[in-house]
Amino acid sequence: MSAAPRRRPAFGRSLLRLFTVQGSWNYERMQGVGMGVAEEPLLRDLRVAGNGAAYRAAVVRGAHFFNAHPYLCGLAVGAAARAEHDGVPPEQVERLRTALCGPLGSLGDRLVWAGWLPLTSGLALIGVALGLGLKAILGFLVLFNAGHVALRWWALRAGWAHGVRVAVALRQPLLQRATAVSGRAMAFVVGVALPLVARYLGGGFLGWSRVALAAVAAGGFALLWSFRARLTGVRLGLALLALATFAGWLWP
Amino acid sequence: MSLKILLGLLAWGTLVGLDLVSVPQMMIARPLVAGPIAGAMLGDVWTGLTLGVLFELFQYEVMPVGAVRYPEYGPATVAAVSAAHAAAGTLGLGLGALVGLITGMAGGVSLHVVRRLNTRAVRRATAPLEAGDARVLVRLHAAAILRDAVRAAVVTALGLGLALLARTYLAGTISVRGVILLDVAAVGSALAVGTVGTLRLVGRGPDLRWFAAGVVSGVAVAWLR
Repeated sequence: MSAAPRRRPAFGRSLLRLFTVQGSWNYERMQGVGMGVAEEPLLRDLRVAGNGAAYRAAVVRGAHFFNAHPYLCGLAVGAAARAEHDGVPPEQVERLRTALCGPLGSLGDRLVWAGWLPLTSGLALIGVALGLGLKAILGFLVLFNAGHVALRWWALRAGWAHGVRVAVALRQPLLQRATAVSGRAMAFVVGVALPLVARYLGGGFLGWSRVALAAVAAGGFALLWSFRARLTGVRLGLALLALATFAGWLWP
Repeated sequence: MSLKILLGLLAWGTLVGLDLVSVPQMMIARPLVAGPIAGAMLGDVWTGLTLGVLFELFQYEVMPVGAVRYPEYGPATVAAVSAAHAAAGTLGLGLGALVGLITGMAGGVSLHVVRRLNTRAVRRATAPLEAGDARVLVRLHAAAILRDAVRAAVVTALGLGLALLARTYLAGTISVRGVILLDVAAVGSALAVGTVGTLRLVGRGPDLRWFAAGVVSGVAVAWLR
């Protein structure tokens, strides 16, 4: 049964809940429970319209398995809620949610985890290395979250606007361009940051310790690159610290 | 260190731990943010910034995709700053890294434990969830967030406890050369991890040229300063 929304959808409440979307992450439904919690305010119109069964059925579907990038979950929440209001058959709503997992995960990983986040963090590293101190950290938080909140808000609104045709939103040229540009910008900015950070952290080392630092960094890089399937950064760090403690004990 | 500061660090580490996955993911969990704020609480922003930068490099290796397991560097950085602060700046860098890396590993394990507990809770609530009971859904979600807050607090407390042990039993017993070696190991491994992590993100495609251009520019700026 189709039930057109009577009031302005509760976007604000849904957006706030989306900030907690991974709060109940688990190995069975992954983000499913968080997705259901975020979608629920958008489904209340169904209950208000006297369609309690449709509301409960939509809540059940909303909490089923889901996994994507957390900042883009709003797209699926908005699209699924709109589809429920438009009276789309339940199996089609389920298929829509399943179909969105891969693209939203892949797009979010490229755009945020491998783009916007390391880009803004790299800028902050440059700022700290150049002596900006806490201002660089504040700048990072403001800049990163301006993009973060805007992306969450856009995703929720776009999902609701397009419903089952949400793929249209994913094909927006601006989104595709942002993904490509943020990857390139990230590569350049972190490239600039690394030598500056090496100077910032290594500035206090003189004489033999500077040579040792260069050797450890180069050796560590070679080991991590060669054994990248087995050796993690935390293991390398702990092993080198243990070796340093032992060497310090032998050579007081 | 006063009890007030210790409780402040515990509260900050808990917020940082919650931010990583649960709420609100605004990146206060990044070491670059967690470290300086912990440093400011201790009246030692410099140590906080230095360890924040060091652990930020370790963070570059982490790609939080799906069910992948990774160390948690936010509360770890708070504990590291606490350990390094008492050992006087540069001298405490290696000591802080040691405490931080152990805490980071413990944080990673705790995330897995909480996810398993969440899985059990979801299984137990399957019947009301499949009946469309929104109140159960919200309660389940809120309980899981509370569980994560407890987890973050426990990890931070563990880290601060390790920092206390390191300050008490290690700080005064290591020779000056030993301290320098620890610092070399900490900074050297961080630079190696940061570079490899970035190269994995960049890949072998066209972005690699942009990365190379960035490195050349960074070297030039570092040399000119």
